[in-house]
This record gives sequence, C-alpha cells and structure tokens, in this order.
Amino acid sequence: MLDNFFNPNSIAVVGASRTPGKVGYDILKNINQYGYPGMVYPINPGASEILGKKAYPSLIGVPGKIDLAVIVVPSKDVIEVIGQCGTKKIDSAIVITAGFKESGIEGSKLENELIRKAKESGVRFIGPNCLGMIDTHSKVNASFAAGMPARGGIGFFSQSGALCLAVLDRALPDEIGFSKFISMGNKADISDTDIMLALAEDENTKVILGYIEGVGDGRKFMEVAKEVTKKKPVIILKSGITSSGAKAASSHTGALAGREAAFDAAFRQSGVIRAHTINELFNFALAFANQPLPQGPNVVIITNSGGPGILAADACDKSDLKIVSPHKDVVDELRTFLPTAASFYNPIDILGDSGADRYEKALTTVLKDEKMHGIIVLLTPTAVVDVDETAMAVVNIAGNTDRPILTSFMGKQRIGSGAKTLLRYNVPNYSYPEEAVSSMNAMYHYRVWINRPEKTYPQFHDLKSKAIHIFEKAAEENKERLTDSEVHDVLTAYGFTVPRSLFARTSEEAVAAARGIGYPVVMKIVSPQVIHKSDMGGVKVGLDSKKAVENAFFDITTRVRNIMPAAQIYGVMVQEMIRGGKEVIMGITKDAQFGHMVMFGLGGIYVEVLKDIAFRITPLSQEDAHEMIRETKTFPLLRGVRGEAEADIEAIEKSLLTLSRMAMDFPRIIEADINPLLVRKRGEGVVAIDARFAIGGE
Amino acid sequence: MIALYIGSTGGYTGKSLVSMGLGYKFRKDGLRVGYFKPVGILPIKVEDILTDNDAWRIYRALELNDPLSEICPVVLTQELAVRSYGKELKGLLAKIVKSFDQLSKDKDVMLIGGYGSIYTGSYLGLQGLKVLKRLNAKVIIVVKYEGEYIVDYVLQAKKDLGDRFVGVILNKVTQEHRESVDEYAEPFLKRKGIDILGILPHDPLVGSVTVEELNEMLGGKVLCCHDRLSNHVENFLIGAMQVDKAMEYFKKTRNNAVIVGGDRSDIQLSAIESGSVCLILTGELYPGEIILSVAEQKDIPIIVVREDTYSIAKKLEKLSIRIRLRDKAKVSRGMSLVAENINFPLLYKKLGLRAGQ
Repeated sequence: MLDNFFNPNSIAVVGASRTPGKVGYDILKNINQYGYPGMVYPINPGASEILGKKAYPSLIGVPGKIDLAVIVVPSKDVIEVIGQCGTKKIDSAIVITAGFKESGIEGSKLENELIRKAKESGVRFIGPNCLGMIDTHSKVNASFAAGMPARGGIGFFSQSGALCLAVLDRALPDEIGFSKFISMGNKADISDTDIMLALAEDENTKVILGYIEGVGDGRKFMEVAKEVTKKKPVIILKSGITSSGAKAASSHTGALAGREAAFDAAFRQSGVIRAHTINELFNFALAFANQPLPQGPNVVIITNSGGPGILAADACDKSDLKIVSPHKDVVDELRTFLPTAASFYNPIDILGDSGADRYEKALTTVLKDEKMHGIIVLLTPTAVVDVDETAMAVVNIAGNTDRPILTSFMGKQRIGSGAKTLLRYNVPNYSYPEEAVSSMNAMYHYRVWINRPEKTYPQFHDLKSKAIHIFEKAAEENKERLTDSEVHDVLTAYGFTVPRSLFARTSEEAVAAARGIGYPVVMKIVSPQVIHKSDMGGVKVGLDSKKAVENAFFDITTRVRNIMPAAQIYGVMVQEMIRGGKEVIMGITKDAQFGHMVMFGLGGIYVEVLKDIAFRITPLSQEDAHEMIRETKTFPLLRGVRGEAEADIEAIEKSLLTLSRMAMDFPRIIEADINPLLVRKRGEGVVAIDARFAIGGE
Repeated sequence: MIALYIGSTGGYTGKSLVSMGLGYKFRKDGLRVGYFKPVGILPIKVEDILTDNDAWRIYRALELNDPLSEICPVVLTQELAVRSYGKELKGLLAKIVKSFDQLSKDKDVMLIGGYGSIYTGSYLGLQGLKVLKRLNAKVIIVVKYEGEYIVDYVLQAKKDLGDRFVGVILNKVTQEHRESVDEYAEPFLKRKGIDILGILPHDPLVGSVTVEELNEMLGGKVLCCHDRLSNHVENFLIGAMQVDKAMEYFKKTRNNAVIVGGDRSDIQLSAIESGSVCLILTGELYPGEIILSVAEQKDIPIIVVREDTYSIAKKLEKLSIRIRLRDKAKVSRGMSLVAENINFPLLYKKLGLRAGQ
C-alpha cells in the first residue's frame, strides 16, 4: 500500500530549482545526497541540468517511467501538473506547495479543484502544504528538511511540518532511528488513516507516532486505529484541546478540532496511546521501539540513592504500575552482597558507593524474581560510580532478558556518554525517573490492550419500535425537545424505572394525586418553556401533607409566573418521592467528528464544578460501561464509604448500555440527560428521576 | 370618604409608586388613608394569608393596620386562572365590594390600586373600569411617558371616565423627553381640559434592580459577595468585545452589570476593575479562582446563569419594564419623587380635600 511513495524506482521533482535556498533546490539536493539509488528527474522548463541531473521541461517529456512526483511549483500551476501526472500514468504525488485551504477562501477553492483533478487523473497525493516525506530504508528523502534521521523502527506522521523538523532535529544528535517521516500537510487526499494502515503493514516500522490537530472522519479513524493497534503501538500527540489551542488549530490547517472528551474516549476505545507533550511522544516512542512489553504491572526499581527512588515509587503509585516486594529468596540473595544499610525491598537502594558490578549483581538477582514484569534502573552520578561501565553492564543484561529495562541516569555532563551507550544498545535512558515510569506505564497499558479479549456487545430486544412513534412525531412537529410525557414514554420503553407520576392542574388535583401516590411526594412545574425546573424554583421535594402540597402548588406556580411571565404553565407533576440511593448523571451527547457519546458522572449539586465525568463513543461494549464508571474519581462513593451499602453498579452499567442502544436507534438525539438517576442498593436497581432530550438535525 | 383609583392605560407605568407617594403625603397631612387593591397579580402568602405582593409592600410602607386579608380580595393565582378559564366565576365583584366597604368605613381617602390598565380584567368579569365605577371612585391616570403619542390614550381614558377623571401624572420622563412634554404634550392636554397633576422625572435608582432580584429573575447562582446583594444595578452591558475596548466601554456607564460568557476571564477582570456592580456569567461556566478572589476583594457579586448571553439580555429587556418597588432605598427615593413633583394644591382642590381634615 502506498508503495510508490515509500519505495519508488524513480522520482521527478516538478519545480526543481538551481537556486540554493529555494525549496525546489533543497528537495532535489536531499534526494541526491542521501544515497537514493533510483532515477531522479528534475522538471524545470528553464534548465537543462540541475545538481548534475538532466532536467526536463515537463513530466511529459521524461523518457522513462516515473513512480513518484514531488510537486513544488506555485499553487496556481499545481492542478495542471497533477493533470500531467495522470497523462504520464504517475499514481503518486507529494504536493509540497502551500497556498491552499490554509490560506483562505481562494485557496480553499483551489484545494477542492486539486482534489477533483487528482481523482479524475487517478493520482493519490500527500499534502498540499507539507514538508515532504522521508523513508530511511529505501533512502528516499523527498523533503526540504535539514538532515536525514538514522534508520530505525519509528514511523512518524505529522499534520504540522514544523513539528516534523523539530522532532527530526531532536532525533539527530541521539541517533534515534526512524523508519519513515511523513509530513501530512492539509491531508486533502491521503489521510491519517491511510498512513496508519500503510505503516501498520510496513515491516520496518515497529511503532507508529503521530501528531494530529483534528481528524476528518472520527468514526473511520477509530475503526482503523482499532485494527492497527492490534498489530503495532500507535502513539499520538493531539493538540487543539484547549479553546485557545482549537482556535489556533482551525486557522492552522483548517481542520475543525474535535472536543477533548471525544478524542480522549476515541483514543481509549481504539487502543491509541496518547502523549500529552512532545517530550512524552519521544519518551514513549523510545521505550516501544527499543524494549519488549512488560507482561504485567509489577515494577522493580534499582537505585543508588534514596530520593530518586522515592520519586519513581511515587510516580508508579500514581500510575497503574505496582511496586511489589521481591521474593524472599531474592531478598536473601541480595543480602549476601549488598551492604547492610541497603534497602532490600522495592525500591532497592544499593547505596551511593555502588559501582558497576554492584548494579550488575543486583540486576541479575532481581531478574530471578519471575513476578517482576519490568525494571527501572536509576543512577545518580556519585564520585564512586563509573557511569560508562554501569551503562555497559545494564546493556548486557538487557540484551539477555525478555523483560523491559528502562533507565534514568540523571544529570547531563557526567552521564552523557553512558546515556549514549544505553540508547545505542536499545536501552532508553530518561533524564528523570518519572519519565521512565510513565513510559513503562504506557507500555503496560498497551500490553493490556493487545491482550484483552474481544469486546462484548450486549444484545437488546427490539426497544426501538416502542419509542419510534415518539421521535417520528417530534420530527414531524419540528420539535427541539421532547415534552415531559414524551420523555417519560421513551424512558419506560427502554426499560428505565421512573417514579410514579400524575399530572395536576390545580392544587385540589395535586392533593388528590398525592393521595393516590402516597405521601411524601415531589412536585415539579410542567411548562414547555421551563427546561431547567429547579433553577426556576419549579421543584419541591418531601411534601408530606395536604397542606404542604397546597403550599407547594402555590409557591411553584407563583414563582415561575414571576420569573417567566411569558411561560405557559400547564400545572404540576406530582411524583412518588424516591428516598435513599445515590445520585448519578448519565446522558448522550453528540460530537461533530465522532458522533454519539455516552456520558457518566456522579450527580449532585457540585457536578458542574467538579466535572468528574467519563465519556465513551457509541456503541458501548460491556467493558466500556464497566470501565467508565470506575474511571471517575468519585467512584469509591458508589462502592460505599464508611460502612455504607454498595450501590447497584451493575444497574448503572446496564443503563449506560441501554443509552448507547438508544443513541444508535435514534441518530436525531442531539443531547439527552438523565439527571439525577438515583442508584439504590445493590440488587435494587436505578430510578430515572428527571430527564431531558434535545433532538434535531439529520 | 373619597375613593381615588390610581389607574393607567398600560401596564408597568408606576401606579404603585404613585399610590405609595400619595398615601404618604396624605397621611402626613393628617388624613386617614387606606389602601385597597381589588385584583392582585403577584400572589404572595404572608403568614398564610394570600395577598398581592405590591399591595403588601404599600400596606407596610403606609404602616396600615387594616386586616391584611381584606387589602386584596382577589389574587390571581394559577389556581384562579385555571378555574376562570374553565367556567364563569361568580361573586368576585361582590367580594371586592364587601372588603372595600369594610376597609373604607373610617377613612378620609381610600387609594385604590389598579392592575394592568383600566381595560384589563374582563375575562374575570373584573375590568378596571367596571370595578372603579362600582366603587364610585375618582381616577388618576399614570402614564409612562414615551413620546407625544401617549396623549391619545389619555384622551380615550377621559372619554371613558367622564367626570371621574381627575387628571394625569406623567411618569419616567427622561431628560430627552422633557422638552417634548413642555412643548407639545402639556399645552395640548390643557387645551383638551385635562389637568396634569405632576411630571415625574426618570430616576435611575427607582428604575434599578438589586442584585438579589436579578438573581431571582434569572434563576442564577450567586458565587460571592453575598452581603452585596442589595447593590443597585441601573444599566446592563454585554461584554463581548476585545479586552482593550472593554474597559473604556464599561467605565462610561454607571452602576452597570456586565453580562459576559463565563469563560471570558479577560472581560470579567476588566469589568471588576472598571467598577461594575455585578457580573452575570452566562453559559453556566464558572469563573476561575482568581476572578472570584478579585471580585471578593472588590465586593462585586457574581451570578452564574445557565442561558447564553443573548437569552439573558432578552430576559433583562423584559425585566426592565416591570421593575417593582421593593427595597428601602428605592421606596424612599420614590416617595420623595412624588412629594416633590406632584401639584398637591391642585390635586386637593380637585378632590375637595383639605389637609388635616
């Protein structure tokens, strides 16, 4: 797939230039100077020879076959060149030229024209507005980047050309190896998903790295990512998550930045490892490209000083890694050669007077403990320690074990050459212990992801048919939201328990309703204009007598009338008062790029401030529902604190799956909230106390 | 006993303000004054007695001792509204007359507060015109002055009221309108034989709302400075510009509340710095800690509301025409406004009243 891009037999540079400093010159120079073995054709009507290669006036005039065209001509000429590619049967092109969607309305029109022309001519292209592409294995450097990275297993694609340059420059001095470097530009034709699929198939690529600002088709992205991550780790740095970042991103390459929560859920659900900084992107990439995955969460830390050991242990504690004590036999063996002042449990502090041999012995001994899944070696450059020797010792051991070893030799000057040695022999070294821990944690997460069983999706009876008439009617009437009684019907159709409710127009009717339901009751205003009832003082709870109901009727109707004189007040809903249980909130939202998501959070009055909520993109699997509940910080409250009974978590899971089903059944739901959903004790189920549905769109 | 009906040809013209002011003056002049509101539209329960909120406030301002239950015999609750649309209600007018008779027994003057205009209330069988005739009242019409065209309504009222018509009070006359009142409206009305009993200038304080009222009307949450809820807001501004323009804009308007998105901390800070009296943050977006602490320092309450800026502005537009006389500062300013600007000699003469009767 995309073979002519990565492994072309011949390359034409359309717009090649004789003038150093011009992009058309630099690209040709890059292709020439890094040993590309195939044919190279500079295309320039005003030149007969550039950089020692015979130049041609146009693609048509080139005698031989061309596999890849790199286009650097002014934007107004790009479409014509693409047409020539078609004529010349060139099916792959890289459009370096800028001045398209990123530059305004005219550019946007031009880009559409480009897409049309390419389709018509049978040409697939990367760009426009990109830096080009590098393949270290086929020695193609069709870019205007300065330098060529070392060969290696990291395949990198980026929406930002500048970031490509920065990453490349950062990689050069440490000789970090890459397989491919692809600057995606505006992604007018070849998309992130195309590249991800190509990199997944590429034998030279061990780990896929990406920088994206937005994706075109969220669902497609997830689908592809899910497949690719089964084969190889995919690490993505996604920017544009803050509102300021989003503004900058949309003016950057014209992609609409999706919502943070949606991306987070999408990455989680498709096994993509998310990096939050460029540094993290690098750190993770180094770990994945060089070390085997840990088979479990247990990590042992070997250090020659206390402080860094504690920092590493703290970082593990905050991650999903576990610090477990070594086996007794291992501890006993450690005692035979470590000073008595050493710390034999995890972190294992072999003390500041350690030399390379003590590191070696400790490491060898600890590896005998089968339950240790990963090792982190920390070193502070004491006067005693020989850093280079220690590095060699670690490298030797790492080469003979199937367990990952990450190091943090701290400092700069004294550890410089040691760190280089480590990296040369595939042991990533990190400046700080926390980085080693977070990289190990990312590897562990990926291990869990590839080992997890296939997701299970619950089977539902046909629920849709019971509610479809409500949504159809609402669509016919062009309604933006469902009325209270419609919400009630939809919820019961999907099997939600709702409190018994009776409508009352007067206080007399309300009293009769309350008697029928049984005291105490809840009363809520019924008015199509009042959406957030309690904001308007339209809700009263715990009404336990005739008098209380009468007063509540007066208070609610008067208050709403005062605040919203134009609201139409139908009356009140008298409801059974459900007591006990915990309030949670769940709902459906719709993201522009990923579609429907199901949301869950602990309810109550602080929910809006705490924002302790979790999202998953539909359809939800059983595992998704299980995880998202546990993802919230307030989950322990559902488990029960200080002897409280556990809440019916299973019923919450079922409700989330039902909502997911509902969203799939009715694409027109824009937003739905059940707030609060009262969760009773385990086995007693949940009750949907109040809910809202906003509908519309396609 | 003289029954004096304070009516209008439209809603929210300042009838309560006038009733309160007149009552205060009458009392000061030694007259025995009572207040009566035949139909109330702002239900409130005071110690379990159903009455009208405005009536209750006037009752308290005038320090009356009559039984509260009789002050406003018909209160338009949701209950009554539902029933009145369902079937013809009987006996309401009789109830009004009975209460009125009871209250007016020992009075020199009974002020009667109209509701809406003198033409509203027909669906209850209690149109203002019908009620005031049944109570045999003389009538003052309070007009919110919005341009010369209002004379048209006054002429119609005179025609409908005949001899009962005492005169007109022009209210909320702004500086800009004052000229047209002097030049056109007043001479014209005089020529038509209509007395102008007073011209009340627009007063920013009387036209203001407190932060507390605002919060209630908007269904918001107050985040800080709970002790400053009595701040008076006279103007509303929308903070949607670049921050460098905001400061100037805010400073030009006094006692303003700024409506701004909860995520615009730059504008919020400018508003606080420029001395706004209240911030209304829209979109249910909570401000940062820094904003809260600065606001706390400067004693500027912050309200968070759920709706967007446009919806809130729309609501406030409606709110500003139905300002009510609620708190002490406004009441006392309102009273002195009436005392200073009503031609009492003329009014007394027309009613045949003498001070200290």
